[in-house]
Order: sequence, then C-alpha cells, then structure tokens
Amino acid sequence: MSGLEHVDDYPEIPVSLASTSTILKTGAWRSVRPIFANRMAPCSAGCPAGVRIPAYIDDIKEGRLEAAYATVTARNPFPRITGRVCPHMCEDNCNLAITTGEESISIRSIERWLGDAGMDLPDPAADAETGKRIAVVGSGPAGMAAAYYLRRTGHEVTVFDQRPQPGGILRYGIPEYRLPSEVVDEEIARLESMEINFHNNVALGRDFTLDDLEAAYAAVFIATGAGQEKLTGIDGEGLLESGLDFLEAANRGTATLPGPRCAVVGGGNVAMDVARVLRRLGADVSVLYRRTANEMPAIAEEYEHAVADGVHFHWLVLPRTIKKDGAQLRVTVEEMWLGEPDESGRLRPEPTGVTCEMHFDGVFSAIGETADTGVFPPRLRNDDGWLDLGEDGETVDQMVFAGGDLATGPATVIEAIVAGRRAARAIDEQLGFSAVWPAEEPLEVVPPKDINLTYMPHHDRSDDHAAAGATAPASFAEETDTLSEAEILEEIDRCLSCGHCNNCGTCFVFCPDGAIIWDDGPRIDHEFCKGCGICVAECPGHVMVLVNERDVSHA
Amino acid sequence: MRWVVPEAEHMAEGTLGCQGCGGALSMRLVLKELGKDTVAVLPACCWSIIDGPWPVHALDIPVLHTAFETAAVVATGVKAAKEIQGKDTTVVAWAGDGGTFDIGLQALSGAAERNEDIVFICYDNEAYMNTGIQRSSSTPTGTWTTTTPDQRPEARPKKDIMGIIAAHRIPYAATATAAYPEDLERKVRAAMAIKGGMRFLHLLSVCPPGWKMEADQAIEVMRRAVRTKVFPLYEIRNGREYTITRWPDDLPLEDYFSLQGRFKTLLEDEAMLELVRGNVEERWQILLDRHQRSHPELAGAE
Repeated sequence: MSGLEHVDDYPEIPVSLASTSTILKTGAWRSVRPIFANRMAPCSAGCPAGVRIPAYIDDIKEGRLEAAYATVTARNPFPRITGRVCPHMCEDNCNLAITTGEESISIRSIERWLGDAGMDLPDPAADAETGKRIAVVGSGPAGMAAAYYLRRTGHEVTVFDQRPQPGGILRYGIPEYRLPSEVVDEEIARLESMEINFHNNVALGRDFTLDDLEAAYAAVFIATGAGQEKLTGIDGEGLLESGLDFLEAANRGTATLPGPRCAVVGGGNVAMDVARVLRRLGADVSVLYRRTANEMPAIAEEYEHAVADGVHFHWLVLPRTIKKDGAQLRVTVEEMWLGEPDESGRLRPEPTGVTCEMHFDGVFSAIGETADTGVFPPRLRNDDGWLDLGEDGETVDQMVFAGGDLATGPATVIEAIVAGRRAARAIDEQLGFSAVWPAEEPLEVVPPKDINLTYMPHHDRSDDHAAAGATAPASFAEETDTLSEAEILEEIDRCLSCGHCNNCGTCFVFCPDGAIIWDDGPRIDHEFCKGCGICVAECPGHVMVLVNERDVSHA
Repeated sequence: MRWVVPEAEHMAEGTLGCQGCGGALSMRLVLKELGKDTVAVLPACCWSIIDGPWPVHALDIPVLHTAFETAAVVATGVKAAKEIQGKDTTVVAWAGDGGTFDIGLQALSGAAERNEDIVFICYDNEAYMNTGIQRSSSTPTGTWTTTTPDQRPEARPKKDIMGIIAAHRIPYAATATAAYPEDLERKVRAAMAIKGGMRFLHLLSVCPPGWKMEADQAIEVMRRAVRTKVFPLYEIRNGREYTITRWPDDLPLEDYFSLQGRFKTLLEDEAMLELVRGNVEERWQILLDRHQRSHPELAGAE
C-alpha cells in the first residue's frame, strides 16, 4: 500500500487563483504599436468640399440621421442638390473600384437619400448674434453656401439677386428633370428659416454699386456667376440663340421651339442640357462638336443620357457660317481632325478645309460661359478683364470677396459651394470669428493597397441614376428617383469605410490577446497589446496603422 | 459590431502566447461560446505555458494541467465527478496536435469509443512548437521543422485525424479555424447542443514562430489554408454524415505556402509540390464525395 488510502492523504495541488493580467504586462514585449490613425478616405479627398463620406455613411448605417446630416452640412449645406447634380468626383477615387474593378460605392445616391431624409431636420442653430451685417450678391450655389455659413456664425446676412427668385443657376440653368425647382424652393426655405434675408429683382450696377454695399455692410461676397454665352466667332453670330437664355426660358416655362430640327454648338454641360431640353420639347436635335466624345467637357453621365434621349452627335465639325435660307438656317460646317494635345491635355482640333452644309430651324450656342465683370470697379479687375482674386476669393478691397463661376468660369455646383464656404471662412477670419471654424490639418489618404479585400462586398451597386434617359423623353418631371432606405443600407454595406472606424469589430474579434476592449467600439489596451499587427492587417478600411514604439514611447 | 461573435471574454489579458498566437485566439473564441460553466483539461502543450505560471492563470474557468497522454481520460473523470455532483458543467479536453495525434491518441480513442460526454478540442499547429518545433504526425508533407530540416523535409502526409475520429462514430466532429470566427462559433454551439456523447473539434491554429512567418499574417494564412483546400471546413455527424460548411475557391496552393518560411524548400521542389498537390486534391475529392453522398438532395448543386 502506498499509504494514500484516503482522499485527505493526497498532497495539496498547487492552484493558481490570480489572473495573468495582474502581473504579466505583456505590452512590454511590443516593438510596434497599433493606433487608430486619423486618415482620410480617398472619396473624401476626391470631393472638392472634402465631405467626410465614410463618417456620414456610418452614421446612416447606425440610424444616426441627425449626425449624418450634420457631418455633410459641415462642408456642404445642400446634399439634396449635389446628391442630384454632382458629377461625384468622390466615386472616381473609390479604393474598392480601383483595386477590384468592382463598381464604386454609389456615394451620390446615398448623399441624395440623406438630403431628402434630412430635409425636415433642424439646421444647427446660429451662434449668438454678432451684430455684423454681411451682403452676398448672387444667390446661386456659391452665394447660398456663403450665406449659410456666415449665418451659422451669427452674422446678419442679406442675399441680393437680379432675378425674381433666388437660386441662380440651380433654378434658372439646370433643367427641371435633373433638379426640380421644388427642391430649390425647399432649400431656399431652409435658408429663410435660418433668418437669411433675400432681396430679389435687384442688380449690382443697376440698383446699387459695390461702393454702396461696402459702405453699409461689414463684408461683401460677390458670386454673380458666369451668365453669358461666349461668342462663337461664327459668321452669322446674330442668328444663334444663347443656350443659357434658352435654359432660363425653359425653367420659367416660356421656352418655344424655333422648329422641329435644332442644333446645339458645343460639348459642355450647357450643351447637353440644351439638347436634352430641346428633345423634351419635341425637336430632333443634333449636337455639333469640334472634337470627339473623348474630349467633351460634359459630365460623361449627361452625355450618356443625351444619347439615350435620342440626341444625335456630330463629331469633328466646326460651324463656320450661318445664313438664313427661307424659314430655315443653312449652317456651313468645316470638318476637323485631331492634332497634338493643347494646354488642357485634350487633342486639338485642326481644320481640314473640307466643308459641308446642314439645315436647321434653330441653332443654339453653348461653347462656354463667361462672366460680365463690367459692373465691378476697375480696381478689382486684372488685365484680362477677370476679377483679380486671392486663394480665398479676396480682392484689393479688404472686406470684399468673390467666388464661384464668376471667378472660375463654368464649374460644378460643388465647386461653387466650396468657394462660398471658403469665402465665408475668410470673412470670419477678417472679422475675428475664426474660432468657429474647425482646424484643418492635411491628412494622409488611405491608399488602395491598404484595404483588406477579404471584406469586399459580394453584391451589386444600387445607383439612382442608372435608369435615367433610358426611355423616350417626354416629360420634365425628375428623371431619377431617390433610392429607398433599404436600398441605401444595402449600398452602404458595400463600403469598406477607408480610414474611418465604423465599429465593424474585426480588430476585436481577431485579437489573440484580448487586448482590444469592446466599449460600444474598439479600444486598444496598450498595457497588454503585444504588437502582433493582426488588427492592422485585418482592418477592412485600414483605419489602424502600426507605429514604431520607439517613436511614441518617448513622445 | 458586424460579427456574430459574443462580446463576453473568459480569457484574461497577459497570456504567454507568442505574438499572433492562433492557439490563444482559438481558446479566446471557443470560450466565448462555451461560457463560464466549463472545466478545461490541458495536457502538456503550448497552452500549459500560455495559461501563465503559478500563481496566476488566464482563464476565468477551472483548468487542470495533466500529463501529456491523459487529456481525454482526465476529462472523462472530471465529467463523471460533475455528474455525481448533479452538475451539467461542460468538460473540455484542450490539447495540441501532440496531445491528440500522437501522445494523446490512445486515451482519445478510448474516450471516443466509449462515447464519453466530453468535448475534445485539438488546436493543431502542426508540430511540437513550445519544445522547439519538432515534427508531429500532424506535420504535413514538405514541411520544415527542426527535426525535418531543409535537407530532409517531412516526407509523410499529415495523419487523417478526422478520419480516425469518424471511425469511432461519435455524434459530432468538425474542423474549424479562427480565420472564420462565425463558422467556429457555430460549431462550438453545435457541439454544446449535443449532450451525452463525445464531441471533437479540430482547429487549425497558426503558430507564427513555428511556421516562420509574420505575426500580422496569422489570420490570412489560416484563411488561405481553407481557400486552397489544404484545411477544408466541414462537420461529421455520427461518423457518417459529412457537410462542407465553407466552400474553397481557386486560390493556388502556392499562395498558402508562400506566406510561410517552413515551406521554402517545398516551393523550390516541383516534384514534392506535385505530390502535395495530389494529396490535397485527393483528400478534397474524398470529402466532396462523402458530402455529396450525405446530401443526395443537393446533387448537382454545389
């Protein structure tokens, strides 16, 4: 017998009762440290306004509608508008599309849904009244954006416009089927509810001068747009109708067809709008462009919709003369060929000397728009007749700023909004209110190679513009529909959320050390993190990065 | 959180697992489903170290450290004691490949044959890692270890432990890996749901030092093992019904091997690579055939 006849005779077994976490501070093993980096998504970097796209997408996904709307309006007050008409430069940068060839996230569709869903949300209350009065001349997107941000600071803002209703190009330029006037009305009403004053039917140079405004207001922002069609140089110029004037008439409901066969000269967005409006009025429409589809400045999508509408495109033709021929117009066009690239990088059209004749009932010019700067004092202009402006739209007069198409020539709505916001910030800085604006340090952009494609989506893109132009154009009713909430949530599911932590939990799930604590979101416990780097490698949108411990422990 | 994985933690921080340890991650994820009313029995294996030195340990459940060959039989005894106490505690034998494929096989086979009411979990890192990376019968063909050096890499195929276990006709057996956490958690739940018999889980568990690879690729390498058919994910009910739970894709084998230094010579030896490719494909075809015979209703559909 061993002598161990009873259970009580067994030697005591050593028992560990304390947790390893009490003494084993394994964080000391680490040579590299994972951190949540403040990086920018490539879509945000591609957006002229720098809207934090993954952040608001995440807010929508989590049902935080007000937060999502506030994230957008911090940089773009009008998601309902840009969600309809923006050429979405953001989507061109989508890391998912660049690395996999999948279609990009339909950011514009999401933005539009948010704009519509958020239209009844209260805008952030203006800060305490500053007692400063600011004048904004021109009520297009640049003026509206400047007014919005200046009012948020607490200034008293008055917007002047020469037309009967505010909205500028949004109301009188962009056709109803792309941007319904009802949407513009509602966005203006939002601004009015913020106590921004609108004075319509008053024009700079006619009813008041810049000096009048400078005398009465603490600062002035001018954004009167580029409202004149450039001269085409065609012999018979007077027989051409202005594309912009035609679009304004169409938006006022007074446009009439010159006849059943019409031509539009030009290849930009105004040309596409004029052609598509003419189709809706029942005309047979030909676009005459001196280069080819590859060089057209129009938004590619608008060109595709024009083709779907049944607009004919004649490439490499330049109208030389227009003459009356009975009730019709006889247009002599010269055929062109493409030579070397010009300063814009596009191939330059060169004349061939070969001409032919075409007959139309009306010909519209849309080769580009320019601003009428004659109403401004000479001290504000440069030798070319344009306004002489600094980076933030500042002029020689310290408290006068300008921006939008007036400064840049025809550009996109979002670029005008950016100009208005930038000028509002510059004005606030001049007036001593720079503290209300967030600091903007440049952020590193998440490169395509950093995202983890294991987590790429496995369903197709939903896009509200996909069906536009597909049926015969008959109506001016909006041609696209806002997607449903379910469709938007499905689309959001495709986003890898580059550079923005959307609490997916991947880092938490895969940490072999339990060193990522879940408190409604991940928190790295550097006391125990061994620095294996799994969280960084697995993070779908590469929100996390590894930094050398040497660089942070002594910082 | 996007993942269907419980938030509760039963493994403390401060374990002695290496950076990127698949064994530690497997334990952490498995315990999330097993819960607190669990006793773990650990034979000699990495986890004897990972759990911490006396007087500390990492799990908030009781752990018994036992001799190398005894995991299944000690678990059997603990379960019997719990039954006498009238408790429904889950008893888990948690062993490495040495304590399962080699040294623990006799006790494991005995417990499986008697259909003991325990859960036996093998976290398989394909060699004796904490003693210095010596080969085991789980080490696959063409692998470098310190006992199968580059001049003479492992020549024999990995032992088919799932085949051995299936031959015992136990109620539930499954393969899983922490790279597919939701699949892993579901299989733990499936094992928990079956009471009164033996359950076996075979978890491929990366060992960055032993596999000679970067720790941050730990999840990716296990994912590639599944995608390349090297480690298919499936379950076997009653030793007969096979169900593949995650379909591999056409990722080439080399994409799995190239992440790991232990396959450096294999990648340079086309003849051996061809042999390995044949082994992987043959095992996959056998599994596929069993899956299809178990699911005649799915014939024609993958």
